[in-house]
Amino acid sequence: MVVLFFVFLTVTWFLLYALPGDSVAQQFAGNPNIPPEARQVALERLGLDKSPLIQFRDYMTDFFRGDLGVSFSQYPRPVIDIIAERLPRTVVLFLTAMVTYYWAGFLAGKYLAWKRGRRGETLITVSGVGLYTVFMPWFALMLIWLFSVQLDLLPLSKFLDPVEWREAPFAANQVFMRMFWVTVTASVVLCAVGWASARAVDRRWGRLLRWGGGVLVIAGFVGYWYGTQPGQAMRVYAGDIAYHLILPVMTLTLVNFAGVMLLTRSSMLDTMREDFILTARAKGLPERVVRDRHAARTALLPVATSLTLAVATVIDGGVITETVFSWPGMGQILVSSVQLEDIPLAVGAFSFIGVLALIGHFVADMLYGLLDPRIRVTEHG
Amino acid sequence: MAEKLETASEVDQGPQTVGGIGGIGGGDGVAGVGGGTAAGGGAAGPVVTSYGSWWRIRLSLLRRSVHDNWVIFRRNRMGIAGLVIIGFWMLMAVMPSLFFATGFWNRAVYDPVTGLETDPPTRTVIMVERVTDPRTEIDRRAVLMDGRIPSDLGLGDTFELPLQPAPPNSRHWLGTDPLGRDVLSQLMHGARSSFFLGILAATVTVVIATLVGSVAAYYGGVIDSLLMRLADLLIMIPGLALLIVIGSVVTFQLWHLAMVIGILSGFGGTAVVLKSQALAVKVKPFVDAARVAGGTGRHIVLYHLIPSVMPLSVLYMMFTVTAAIQSEAVLSFLGLLNVDTSWGLMIQLAHTQGYLLQAGEFWWLVFPAGLAVTLLAMAFFLLGRGLDEVINPRLRRR
Amino acid sequence: MELRTPPHLEAEVPAEQRLPLLEVDGLVVRYTTDAGDVSAVEDVSFSLSGGEAMGLVGESGCGKTSVALSLLRLAPENASYPSGSIRWEGVDILGMSSEEVRRLRWSEMSMVFQGAMNAWNPVYRVGHQIREAMDQHFEPRLTAVEADRRLAWLFELVGLDKVTADRYPHELSGGMRQRALIAMALSCEPKLVVADEPTTALDVIVQAQILRELKDIQTDLGLAILYISHDMAVIAQVTDILAVMYAGKLVESGPTREVFRHPRHPYTHLLLSSVPSVVGPRRPPVCLDGVPPDPLDPPSGCRFHPRCPLATRRCRQEEPPLEPVGPEHLVACWHSAEMSGMGESRLDVKVSGG
Repeated sequence: MVVLFFVFLTVTWFLLYALPGDSVAQQFAGNPNIPPEARQVALERLGLDKSPLIQFRDYMTDFFRGDLGVSFSQYPRPVIDIIAERLPRTVVLFLTAMVTYYWAGFLAGKYLAWKRGRRGETLITVSGVGLYTVFMPWFALMLIWLFSVQLDLLPLSKFLDPVEWREAPFAANQVFMRMFWVTVTASVVLCAVGWASARAVDRRWGRLLRWGGGVLVIAGFVGYWYGTQPGQAMRVYAGDIAYHLILPVMTLTLVNFAGVMLLTRSSMLDTMREDFILTARAKGLPERVVRDRHAARTALLPVATSLTLAVATVIDGGVITETVFSWPGMGQILVSSVQLEDIPLAVGAFSFIGVLALIGHFVADMLYGLLDPRIRVTEHG
Repeated sequence: MAEKLETASEVDQGPQTVGGIGGIGGGDGVAGVGGGTAAGGGAAGPVVTSYGSWWRIRLSLLRRSVHDNWVIFRRNRMGIAGLVIIGFWMLMAVMPSLFFATGFWNRAVYDPVTGLETDPPTRTVIMVERVTDPRTEIDRRAVLMDGRIPSDLGLGDTFELPLQPAPPNSRHWLGTDPLGRDVLSQLMHGARSSFFLGILAATVTVVIATLVGSVAAYYGGVIDSLLMRLADLLIMIPGLALLIVIGSVVTFQLWHLAMVIGILSGFGGTAVVLKSQALAVKVKPFVDAARVAGGTGRHIVLYHLIPSVMPLSVLYMMFTVTAAIQSEAVLSFLGLLNVDTSWGLMIQLAHTQGYLLQAGEFWWLVFPAGLAVTLLAMAFFLLGRGLDEVINPRLRRR
Repeated sequence: MELRTPPHLEAEVPAEQRLPLLEVDGLVVRYTTDAGDVSAVEDVSFSLSGGEAMGLVGESGCGKTSVALSLLRLAPENASYPSGSIRWEGVDILGMSSEEVRRLRWSEMSMVFQGAMNAWNPVYRVGHQIREAMDQHFEPRLTAVEADRRLAWLFELVGLDKVTADRYPHELSGGMRQRALIAMALSCEPKLVVADEPTTALDVIVQAQILRELKDIQTDLGLAILYISHDMAVIAQVTDILAVMYAGKLVESGPTREVFRHPRHPYTHLLLSSVPSVVGPRRPPVCLDGVPPDPLDPPSGCRFHPRCPLATRRCRQEEPPLEPVGPEHLVACWHSAEMSGMGESRLDVKVSGG
C-alpha cells in the first residue's frame, strides 16, 4: 500500500511539475494574485531553479513533513491548512453517501429479487441503468431546480446560509468538527453495540442489547444537542449545516443507488437458486430468516466486492457534486484550483483525494475479507 | 497430414504445423471457426501467408456464428433498446451534413458555433412605471440596462423585445441558445463529438487492454505483477479527478482526451478482466500443444489468446464508450475541454448564464442536452448488457 | 443425552401391525411452465412404516425428486397437486398450513440433498448451520452446552471429528460434507430421513462407507429412510422395500429381495440387467434403447411401451393398473405373467437380508 502511494505521488508530481508545456514557473510568473516582490522569493522557495531530481526529492520530503507549499489563489495561506479544513467535510459527504446508498440499494435489490423474481427485469434494469448513467452535473442541477427553486424545500447551494451565520459566535469549521466528532462517537458506540449483540450467547439477550443500545445511542445523540451547554449553543448552526448537506448527499446517493440495487438483485436471484437455500427452507426456518440470513448474506459478497471499485466512483461523483453545489470540500477545491491555475493547491488536493481513495479501497478490501470466510487465511487447514 | 502454414512475418522455430493447430484452436467463441479452418485445410489446404489473411478466414467463418448470435441478442430487449437509441443518435450526427449540403440550413444561421439568428421571434412589451407582470412589461431601469431597447422609449410605448434565447419555433425546432445559435444544430454536432470521442477512446482501450491482458496472462511472473500493479493503481485512483488535474496542464482537445481516457482505461480495470479471460484460455490443452509444436510466445499470444479474448474486449468497448461520453461531458461542463460543440458545453453555457435554474421556462436549453448525454451513455451500457448475454452463455435466461 | 427409543425395539410389534408413518396416496404433481403443463408425477402410491428403509429408483426426470420434495412441501412455486394426498401419521401434508409444515420439517422428516457441495451455506460454519436447525425445533431451546454435546454426539455418529463443527464448508472434503449433512439431517431426531442421491457425487470407496454407516445409523436409531437413486446397486444394499418409477408412474414395488430376484416389469428387468456384474460368466450388458418420454406429451397407454421389447397393441392403448403379483409385490404391466417366467435377474449384487 505504501509502495502504491509513493508511485501515486510520483505520478502526480510528474504530471504537474515535469510535463513540458505550461510549467509551474511560467504559470507562477503570470499569476496576478502574487505580489511581484514575493514572486522571486517564492520561486526560490519552490526550488524551481534547481534540477528536476532535486525538486522531486524536496517535494517528497516536504510532503511527508506536511509542507505542501503555499496556495497561489489564497496567498499566503499554506496548502496544508486549506486541505485540513476541507478534508473532513469531503470525508463526511463521502461516507454518508456511501453508507446510505449501499444500504438502500441492497435493501431494494433484496426485496425486488425476493418478491418479484425475474418479472419486470427489463424495466427495472433500464431505469436503474438510466439513473446510473445520468449526466451528473445536469442531474444535480435538476434536483436543485426541483427542490430548491420549484418546491423551495431545500437550500440552493453552499455549505451554510451566510445570513443566518452573521451573528454566530462560532466559526463554521468549529461547528462542523463538533458535529463530526459527535456523530463519529455515536456511530462507533452503535457499531460496538451491534457487534456485541451479535456475539451474545442467548439470542434474546442479543436482541435486547441491540434495541436497547440503539435507543440509548439515539437518545444520547439527541440529548447532546438539546441538553448539554455546547450542544445547545451550536444546535442551530449545526442544523443549518446539516440542512445544506441534504441535497448533495441525496444527489450522490440517487445516482449510485441504482447500480447497487441492480447488482444486489441479480446476485440475490443467483443465490436464491442455490441448494443451500433449499436446505435452509427444509430445516423449517421461516421465510424471512431464509431470505435475510441465508440468501441476502451470501448475495452480499459480489456487492461487497463492488464496494472496492465504487470508492473511486463516489469520489469522482463527490467532485462533481461539490462543484455544482459550491459545497466547500476537497472536490470543489480541486476543480477551482485547477481553473485558477493554483498548482500547489491542485497538487495537494489531488494527492489527498488519492490518499482518500487508496484508504477507502483498502478498507473495502478488508471488509470483504470479513464477509467471505473463503478468502480468509485460516490457521488450520 | 501436416498442414503447412507459411507465416512469412513470423520467426517460428520448428515445424510449420503450428498454424494448423492454431487453426483448430482459437477461443471458445470461435472454436467452431477454427475447426472449420482445419477441416477445410485438410482438403484443399489454403496457404495463409500473413496474420492478416489468417484473420480474414476466421472472420468469414465468424459471419456464420454472428447470425446465430444475433438471434440470441434479438431476444434481449435491453440490447435492442440500446441499439435503437444509438441508431437514433447516429442519424442525428449525420443529418447536419445533409442539411448544410442541401442548403436546408444556412450556415450563417445554423452553424453550432458561429451561427447567429439575426431575426429572432419577439415579444411585445409595454413600458410602465412599475412592473407587475415582467413578461409583458418593462420599466425605466430595464430600458437603461438592456442595450437593445431604445433609450428614448416613453411610458405606454410598446417595443418588440427580441427573445434570445428563443423558444422552439418553426425555424428553430429546439429554439436558440443565449448566443443566438440553433440548439438542434448544437445537439446534432454534439452527437458527432460524442461518437468520435467514445469510439476512439474505446478502441484505444481495447487495443491496449487486450495486449496487456494477453501478455500478462501468457508471460506471468514479473511482467504480470508489474502490469497488474499498474492496473490496480489505475483502478483505485478516481479517474475524473485525474483527468481534471491533467486538464490543468494540458489543454485537452477532443482526441487528446480520447487518447488519455483510452490509455487510462486500457491499462486499468479492463486489462485485469481480459487477463483472466486470457488466463482461462492459456491453461487449455491446445495451447500446450501449440507450445510443444514449437510456437513462440508471440505466436500464442497473437493467434490464440487474443482471438479468444476478442469477444470480451468488444463487450468492454461498450462500457468504455459510456465512461468516455460521461467524462467528456463533465470536463466540458467544467470548462476544461477545448472543443467546438459538445453537450457538456451546452449545459455549461446554460448554467453560467443562469438559465438552468429556470428550467421550467427555458426547458429547451436544459433538457435536450442533459438527456442526450444520459441517453447515449445509457444506450451503450444497455448494448453492453445485451452483448453480455451473447458472450456469456451463463447469463442467458434458463 | 436422551435418545428416543427406536419404535421397533419398544414393544414387540409385529411388522403387519406397524402403523404406516408415511402414506402417499395417488399423488399427482403438476408443474405449470411456459411450455405448458407438465405432469411430473402421476398417481403414485406407497407407504412407509417406522424403521423401514425404502428405495425409489428411476431414470433422471422420472419424477422421483418431485416426490421427495413434495414430502416436505419444498417443490418449486409452479408445482400444484390436483389430486392425491401425502399423509404423515394420518394428517395430509398437502393440506397443512405453512406454519404446520415448518414445524414438521426437520423435526419429523428431514432430507439429505444431492450434491453436498452446495447444500451448505459457504459463509457460516458447519456447526452454526446445524445449531440453527436445532434452535428452530427444540422447545425449550438448547443451551450452548447442550447444543455442543449434541453436536459432538451427532458427529461421532457419522464418523466425524467434533472440531468439524468449527469449520467452514469449503474446508471440508466432499465425503466429510456429506457426512456432516447426514449429521444435520439427524439433528432434530426425525422419524424419517429422505436421502436424495446421497452418494452420487462421491467416489466409490467413500460411497460404500457412507452407505454402510447410514444403514447402521438407521438400525440404531430406528429411523425410516427413503432412498432415492438411479443406481440400483446402491439401493439394493440398504433397502427393505423397493419401488421403481418410470415417467412419473410407479411401475413396480415390493420387497427388495423379491423385486431383485423376480422382476415382473420389463423396465425393472432391463434396469437390473444393464448393470454389469463383476462375478460370474461374462455377458454383454443389455442396453435400454431410446430416451425417457417428453413430460409435456407422454405416450398413450403404458408409458413405457415405445421402449419395451414386450409391447403389444394393448400396451399402446390401455394403461396397465398396479396389481399384486406376489406378497406385497405390485406391478403395472400387461405382461407381468410372462416376466415371471424369465427366471432370476442377472444381477449378482448382495441384497440386504432385512
